[in-house]
Amino acid sequence: MSSAVVASLLAMHSGGKKYLPALQSSQQAEQKQQLWKVTTMDPKFAEASQLFGRFNAALTRNDFDSCTNLLSQLKVMLTEFKSLPPLFEKTPNTTHELTLAREVYEHAVILSVKMEDQDAFERDFCQLKPYYTDACDRIPPSPQEYPILGLNLLRLLVQNRIAEFHTELELLSPSALENPCIKHAVELEQSFMEGAYNRVLSARQTVPHQSFVYFMDLLAKTVRDEIAGCSEKAYDYLSISDARQMLLFSSDEQLMEYIKEEHPDWEVKTGMVFFQKAKETAHSKEIPSLQLINQTLSYARELERIV
Amino acid sequence: MTREVEMKDRTTPSNSVSSAIPSTLQHLKEIASLVETGSYSKEVRRIARAVRLTIALRKKLTTPVIASFLDHALGQGSEAHIRIFVYLPKDDEHDMEVDTATSANLAPVKHLLPELEIYCYLLVLLFLIDQKRYNEAKACSSASIARLKTLNRRTIDVLASRLYFYYSYSYELTGDLAEIRGNLLALHRIATLRHDELSQETLLNLLLRNYLHYNLYDQAEKLRSKAPRFEAHSNQQFCRYLFYLGKIRTIQLEYTDAKESLLQAARKAPVAARGFRIQCNKWAIIVRLLLGEIPERTVFMQKGMENALRPYFELTNAVRIGDLELFKSVAEKFANTFNTDRTHNLIVRLRHNVIRTGLRNISISYSQISLADVATKLRLDSSNPVADAESIVAKAIRDGAIDATIDRAKGCMVSKESGDIYSTNEPQIAFNSRIAFCLNMHNEAVRALRFPPNTHKEKESAEKRRERQQQEQELAKHIAEEDDDDF
Repeated sequence: MSSAVVASLLAMHSGGKKYLPALQSSQQAEQKQQLWKVTTMDPKFAEASQLFGRFNAALTRNDFDSCTNLLSQLKVMLTEFKSLPPLFEKTPNTTHELTLAREVYEHAVILSVKMEDQDAFERDFCQLKPYYTDACDRIPPSPQEYPILGLNLLRLLVQNRIAEFHTELELLSPSALENPCIKHAVELEQSFMEGAYNRVLSARQTVPHQSFVYFMDLLAKTVRDEIAGCSEKAYDYLSISDARQMLLFSSDEQLMEYIKEEHPDWEVKTGMVFFQKAKETAHSKEIPSLQLINQTLSYARELERIV
Repeated sequence: MTREVEMKDRTTPSNSVSSAIPSTLQHLKEIASLVETGSYSKEVRRIARAVRLTIALRKKLTTPVIASFLDHALGQGSEAHIRIFVYLPKDDEHDMEVDTATSANLAPVKHLLPELEIYCYLLVLLFLIDQKRYNEAKACSSASIARLKTLNRRTIDVLASRLYFYYSYSYELTGDLAEIRGNLLALHRIATLRHDELSQETLLNLLLRNYLHYNLYDQAEKLRSKAPRFEAHSNQQFCRYLFYLGKIRTIQLEYTDAKESLLQAARKAPVAARGFRIQCNKWAIIVRLLLGEIPERTVFMQKGMENALRPYFELTNAVRIGDLELFKSVAEKFANTFNTDRTHNLIVRLRHNVIRTGLRNISISYSQISLADVATKLRLDSSNPVADAESIVAKAIRDGAIDATIDRAKGCMVSKESGDIYSTNEPQIAFNSRIAFCLNMHNEAVRALRFPPNTHKEKESAEKRRERQQQEQELAKHIAEEDDDDF
């Protein structure tokens, strides 16, 4: 377990809003590397941890190109360790190898957030997950576990994959649900379902982890679309200033552009936005004769079978 | 959680009256001969009957009875006998010897039927579980499974499916379900390759149960959707399948399908399986609440379930009234129950429904109401209740929960007059779905009718006899004619 990670977790608990520096300074990475060298003599492992140190340094510098490069090398290297999932073979270095691999994938997830790449996030998270679920009895829990699980929940929420969101939620223990990172995501989902959108937006101010911000910004866009969808059903018309305020635009021009792009059927005149309501089709003037005939025939057929 | 109730109810009486031993033994021997004839005549039905009879005998089983039965069935000193005998608890060795002395002489050395051997495993396993010797049960079941893998006979399928069930059950009792997951998957694959549908059905359920035990809904659903499905062979297994299916669908927010599965499971379950039915009802109630329905009072008053369903009754009450405060207090009061039922997360989801119901009540009672009043009535406790109320109302309107508009300038919600439902096609659709349901029910009932197997056969044989007699007569006539010719 790295001291920097603990420090970042502590900062997260104390500040919350504070911007957290990247996970590791290169100096600390070197220290850790040396520590590992002492504990193991396995050349492959030493090489991997060295590479991980370089990856970390690159991540701190926000040098994404070399990060992706190093990461793919690292992933290839990890495939050679037999103690990792799905093999879970017993080797003398099991704990170290598992911990290293877990940290690699954790950082990969963080990297994908920094690079704002949702597909990479999903991929890396899937690779990371076995370390939390299946390997939890082999290595001590990671301090990064809950922030990353929280991030994943948030991602599912942003992508509107609510069913998967709940499936993931079921896997968490009651104590995990109390964790601020998880709770944040759970409360967001609730507010979102209720329709209390301003609560969703104000939650951006209270993110438990700095990497949540990226997804919160994405969520804001989703929320805007939701509000627009609700408004056109709920109101006959709105004044432009009200509409701008509700849809969270800073200027009328932005609002006009948004209307033009997303909702061309809205009408803007005399300082008002009129929503064209879809005319209700509830009243049936015609008798659906074909359907009725079909139904009646099927009743007759069935009844014949009974008699 | 579910079918265990059935087992826990059975207490194992320790007072084995000496006269009871021979009669139980006699019963067991009869069952064994049933298994034998079933095996020779390849009639699976007989073996299924043997299993049923054994379950009825469970209470009376004791170590000496089983020991002497093993001697009788397997023959003392045979390989299978040695294999199985080690799992029997050795507490009253003395009694055993007395019995074996008599039966050992009688037991003829014969070719051992695999069915009988597997049946003995099942018997010993049942006994061990009833005696709460779970670790021995685990060892015994694992050994039996290993043996089963080498056998491929259709007559064993019934016994095998029962063995799988108790195999998983013994591991569940010691909390090691995760250990056998790989093994169960392998067994399921074998059963599929051998077209052993009964075992497939059982194993699929065991796997689903295994996954759901650890809340692995994702894996469970992936397996379920890809496993081969066929017409159910056993009602019990089908009930379980429906229950697991309902649970998975609930978690994945497919409430309408979930409700159907859960209610069907509750209806199909036998009356004796009270624990199972309670579980089904609990889940069904929550799903119905999530769907915005209010379950009728009779659901909670079912015989033997009042107490178990009490927390859910109060919860329903809170949702029905649409009172957030009451809902919160109920959720806190029964938090322990909900946690052990593992429905806590679902109840968190219900909050949204409470608000909806409350809103609907308001919308029905008032033609126009200010948003501030809505916020106080719903008891929204947030920093900006009016803004919250406004967006909540807007969303409810969009989702079609209430029929209203918001007047932004006046800051109030205006309910629309509800139109005449009979001017739409709605009643006709409802009527049609009811008719379809009744007709479907009738068809299923007809399909479920069972005819005693022998009547059909006898008729056939009678026909055959007549045919044969006719043929014989013809032949006789022919011969007679030939005879005539000769002369």
